[in-house]
Amino acid sequence: MPPIIKIIEEPLKLLGQHAVECVIIGGVAATLYGSTILANDLDVCYARNAENLARLATALQSVNAKLRNVPPDLPFILDAETLRRGLNFTFTTDAGSLDLLGEVRGVGFYEQAISGAITYELFGYSFPVLEIQKLILAKRAAGRAKDMVSLPELEAIRERQLQDLSAEDKRQT
Amino acid sequence: MSVESEDYFLNPPPGSAAARAVEFGIDLTLTLENLRLTPEERIRKLDEFILSVARLKASARILGPRDAADNQNN
Repeated sequence: MPPIIKIIEEPLKLLGQHAVECVIIGGVAATLYGSTILANDLDVCYARNAENLARLATALQSVNAKLRNVPPDLPFILDAETLRRGLNFTFTTDAGSLDLLGEVRGVGFYEQAISGAITYELFGYSFPVLEIQKLILAKRAAGRAKDMVSLPELEAIRERQLQDLSAEDKRQT
Repeated sequence: MSVESEDYFLNPPPGSAAARAVEFGIDLTLTLENLRLTPEERIRKLDEFILSVARLKASARILGPRDAADNQNN
């Protein structure tokens, strides 16, 4: 297998190609908002309806997805039913690492994550990205050192976004 | 990006979130650089950085204290 050189771009394209309903969260969402904090993999919150689970399972099968950090002999059948029975999964795939969250701490499920999400056009596909205020809430709720370190910069970016929106409103009135 | 936005990150107003970020140790000039990029460029830059770190890790040799001292002397 050739080395993966687009750790974030390839999994994004995979999800786009299979029209998986998901919201970009975590460090990649922070990067898209301009944060300099580094992400190591792609985290998404996915919709748990039957059609989407089937699309997700097909996408994961196409890149030989395997659960990360589990014993190699752990039985795991990658299909929509398995995804339905679980909630949060961490995969390693031929297209890079991919973390799938059914629920985001501090935010909720896909329905809460998609609400207010900002759509970005990336590599020919449209992806909803968790609203920056919810991203801040999620990172605060996660409470890990790496999340807390990212907060001051995200809060500065958010404050500036709000000021830009306010200025835009004033121009229009 | 507006002049006001650039100024916000380069000269954070006292009491602002940007001022608190600088106090925390964030270099907002790097944030500004990111904000000047398109979203796709931000992802590509992240990918390049991840790859660079992986290559660096793969090429690094761990030197013991004596080796490190020898290297510094050479």
